[in-house]
Amino acid sequence: MSEPTGPVLLRFDHASLAYGRARVVEDVHGSVHGGEAVALIGPNGAGKSTLLRAVLGLVDVVSGRIEVLGSTPARARREVAYVPQVDTLDAQFPVSVGQVVLMGRYRDVGWLRRPGVRDRALADDALEAVGLAERKDDRFGTLSGGQRQRVLLARAIAQQPRLLLLDEPFNGVDAVSQQALLAALRRLQDDGAAVVVSTHDLALAHLACDEVCLLNKHQVAFGPTEATLTPELLRAAYGGQALELAGDSVIVAR
Amino acid sequence: MRYLLEPFGSPFMQRALAEALLLGAVAAVVSVFVVLRRLSFVADVLTHTVFPGVVIGFVVAGTSGIVWGASVFAVLSTVLITVLAGRSRVTEDASMAIVLTGFFAVGVVLVSRQTSFTSDLTAFLFGRILTVDRQQLVVTAVIGAAVLLLLGLLGKELLFRAFDPAGAEARGYRVLALDLVLNLVVALVVVAAVRAVGTVLVIALLVVPGAAGRLLSDRLAGITLIAVGTALLAGWLGLVASWQASVNHGLRLASGATVVLVLVLLYGVAAAIATARKVRA
Repeated sequence: MSEPTGPVLLRFDHASLAYGRARVVEDVHGSVHGGEAVALIGPNGAGKSTLLRAVLGLVDVVSGRIEVLGSTPARARREVAYVPQVDTLDAQFPVSVGQVVLMGRYRDVGWLRRPGVRDRALADDALEAVGLAERKDDRFGTLSGGQRQRVLLARAIAQQPRLLLLDEPFNGVDAVSQQALLAALRRLQDDGAAVVVSTHDLALAHLACDEVCLLNKHQVAFGPTEATLTPELLRAAYGGQALELAGDSVIVAR
Repeated sequence: MRYLLEPFGSPFMQRALAEALLLGAVAAVVSVFVVLRRLSFVADVLTHTVFPGVVIGFVVAGTSGIVWGASVFAVLSTVLITVLAGRSRVTEDASMAIVLTGFFAVGVVLVSRQTSFTSDLTAFLFGRILTVDRQQLVVTAVIGAAVLLLLGLLGKELLFRAFDPAGAEARGYRVLALDLVLNLVVALVVVAAVRAVGTVLVIALLVVPGAAGRLLSDRLAGITLIAVGTALLAGWLGLVASWQASVNHGLRLASGATVVLVLVLLYGVAAAIATARKVRA
């Protein structure tokens, strides 16, 4: 774990979020520095995805503030990358791995124009970074779930983001792909980007994240991983779903 | 080969062929997006909602008013349908069906007040490809060019949105605006097709070629190529079939419907090939 040395890239200032009139997340407070990885942990329906969407400016902040890259979420969106859950995508869609990664460049290419030499080079590098360069011409749907998740991460990397948001990237992912994902994320952090990842996997959060935000419709805790993933706080976040096992380890039923 | 070229000796058959090929190619490219976005039903709705515009245009300004009336209703119903698709308390298919039948009924009521009711209705619904004139060819060409231009310019964004709407939204694309563009493109094809194949049969041109391409290829470029090829072949063979049937066998077949029939037959061939491939693999 590296000490946070980068600037603050994401700041939650007692932010509460709502869809229409229904408040879904209350009072999130904390900040994320460049080079840091933060795990968003909580039971299903805790508001993890909503919080990620709010950082993208797609959900209303009804009180408090979310500051992204020193600006509003909507204005910062160009430099924020989002990796959706892979199983939300149609595996039958006739698109190649290379085409998917190149989509990460579309916004910078702009309307009405085609990706250029530099865009293609960035896409190739990104695919290389997740270890799938040789699958470039294969159809997206022919890859395994873990490999498809890596392709989506490559698409985000091709965008050259300063802040990266991932929605449950490790769900159903094999060990090889998990290692490749973690290595690619580590490299992004070394380059100064901040990473926010929603996950159910506490072991993975321990392994890969500097900070944890525990969420269950409101913020239970936000702080360094060691100090936050404690039995008491996990029980507070998961309620009856958390079972204590020998000593201080906790297993969370989903 | 003579059998296949013989029908196109007269100018009216040449114009019909040009119209069929032009319309077929443009609709085939659009059909790729229709299939990728699973918009077949939306396309069907649009074919019916353009209909009252056709009738009103005809009543107000005669044959030359048809394109304008159709265009106005194309834009109107595109906006209505795109908005309804996003936010509906009733299920989406139900609200679409209501729009479809409502608009269509308005068209039928209006056309039923005409003295030449039956022949007009038939012409609007099924088209008269053999009476296509030079002016209509120009209209088809202009609309076709506009459609291809729009798809050429916004193709990559429309592809992104079709593949991953959440990802596209996260990138700051306005998904609703992109949907509006694609629905408008579909409606424009309907407008271009009104005189030749009518508002009802055009749905075949907007769905079948792309579906056939999807059966035979996993690549966007491959799908598009097969779709266009299928549509061109159907336009040509369909006109040949209807001409030969009426000249040599005394069988009068509606030309537009024959083109559609050949198109569906070609889809059957594509399905057979796809099945054979799967069995062998």
